[in-house]
Amino acid sequence: MTTVNINSLNKTYPNQPAPVLKDFSLSINDGEMVALLGPSGMGKSTLLKLITGIERPDSGDIQFDGSSILNVDPNKRGAVLMFQKSYLFPFLTVEDNIGFGLKVQRASPETIRGEVKRMLDLIGLPGIEKRKVGQLSGGEGQRVALARALVTNPKLLLLDEPLSSLDTEVRMNLQEAIRVIQRELGVTTTFVTHDLGEAMAMSDRMALLLNGEIVALDKPETLFHRPRSMAAAKFMGVSTFLNGDQLPVKCEARSLSQKLFAIRPEHIRVQKDGCEQSLQGVVSDCVFRGEYVEYQVAVGEMSVRARMPMPAQMFSHGEQVHVRFPAEYLFEVQN
Amino acid sequence: MKRIASYALRMILYFILVAPLLLFIAYAFSTRWFFPQPFPIEWTLTTFQRAIDDSRTLSSMAQGIWIAVLVSLLSLILALPTARVLGLRKFRGRQLAWLLLFLPTVIPPLAIGMGLNILFLRIGLAGTIAGVVLAHIIPTLPYTIFTLSSAYARFDENYEFQALALGASPWNIFFKVTLRMLAPSLVVATLFAFLISWSQYLLTLLIGGGQVITLPILLFSAASGGNPATIANLSLLFIAPPILVIAATARQLNQHGNEIREQY
Repeated sequence: MTTVNINSLNKTYPNQPAPVLKDFSLSINDGEMVALLGPSGMGKSTLLKLITGIERPDSGDIQFDGSSILNVDPNKRGAVLMFQKSYLFPFLTVEDNIGFGLKVQRASPETIRGEVKRMLDLIGLPGIEKRKVGQLSGGEGQRVALARALVTNPKLLLLDEPLSSLDTEVRMNLQEAIRVIQRELGVTTTFVTHDLGEAMAMSDRMALLLNGEIVALDKPETLFHRPRSMAAAKFMGVSTFLNGDQLPVKCEARSLSQKLFAIRPEHIRVQKDGCEQSLQGVVSDCVFRGEYVEYQVAVGEMSVRARMPMPAQMFSHGEQVHVRFPAEYLFEVQN
Repeated sequence: MKRIASYALRMILYFILVAPLLLFIAYAFSTRWFFPQPFPIEWTLTTFQRAIDDSRTLSSMAQGIWIAVLVSLLSLILALPTARVLGLRKFRGRQLAWLLLFLPTVIPPLAIGMGLNILFLRIGLAGTIAGVVLAHIIPTLPYTIFTLSSAYARFDENYEFQALALGASPWNIFFKVTLRMLAPSLVVATLFAFLISWSQYLLTLLIGGGQVITLPILLFSAASGGNPATIANLSLLFIAPPILVIAATARQLNQHGNEIREQY
């Protein structure tokens, strides 16, 4: 049970002009799971290395329960990493892999055996103690890696894209398993991913990391539906941004001509008939995706992407349509 | 046709490899073998027994094995950190470091031996086992470094980071993770070092100065004597330890290789 405070962390690698992390600050509450979301190369994995002590920051501080850990040896920090690959030791059995952390901390063989059994029950793989790690599937390997990480009762669990190498079904199962186990044990967790869906499904809060800085930090539903900045909105899949004066005549927000508004593609409506909240346009692209149909509509000089749930009225390329922006779904963003 | 050709080629290769050994066996265990008879007329264990009973043979074997073991151990100790840096890190001057470390393989052993002899005479290491061990490290080190740096180049440091985060101390990580991950290459590197040291003649002669007698010294001296039975007996004894070492490590190698392969 740990509260983590990261204060003004800076890190630049030698021979690299731009810093990987710039004045990075983040607080993680006790037992909370925070997802660090962002494209590759934005400093997410570097942050985990700084927390575990594999790398040292240029400046700033990392605190566990109010005490700085920067001068604590990496093997005594209690921050355990789980990577994209399981990194189970190939020369050990499942039992010895899970018990590794306890063994190096000189726990008794009875304690290790008991804890390994408890962990295997927890991850839903009882009875595989004697199996070699080469005999495990990708999903089983990651479950065992999770057990190995949790058995030491870590202060902070760091997950570095642990599911990205797995196929969809296994990934969905593991997302749920990790979430359930994390809640059951109440271990403070940071989860690095570039997959928006995964971050939303698993985290209590999401931090969007771009160019070494947090550009948005909020609950998944808030960040998804009401991102405050244009950069965050774009990462959340928003592609339609309008100034107040570009909005239809009857929109209240039109009076705020200097402000920038955004709307999610699934909230935009494409229809045959015009109304006071719509703008006229021409369908430039139409893609049927099963559960929904995606339209690209040219409205003046603007290109609007709309996602209409099926069943929906179908329009073809070049057809004249009206695009409606329901006022309740428009939200203001900072450029 | 292709299969027959491949089979024939394989047989020729086996014959080239095994023929000298068969010849040694025939000479070592026979008393009378005259031209043009294809096989010896009489077989005996007497000459082999005499060679084993000779105290010089056994002591030179023991000394050679002792020196080879020490050389293997010291080579590994020196090669491991060097190979780690060369295999895992990119730095300015890396190519130059490679060149310098490989110089002993291209410089004639006589030049190295003469230079070392003068130096060791001054510091009192000439004619001692310690001197011979140090001299043997020079030709063995490039091979151990090369073998281990290739292993380190394939090694994923995240295994060490994983162990570190789980609470392992640096020593624990080294012995319980790194060495075990590198085990197959360590075995190969040790094998190289052992074989190179075991078969060293010139450096042992120059540095040992007749005080340190290993089996190659005895073998060369017997070769100049011209008794084929003695030469054959000593040759068989000379190849025995390497064959045993290779046989012992081959099993280990296979076992560890499979474990690592399963993970990748």
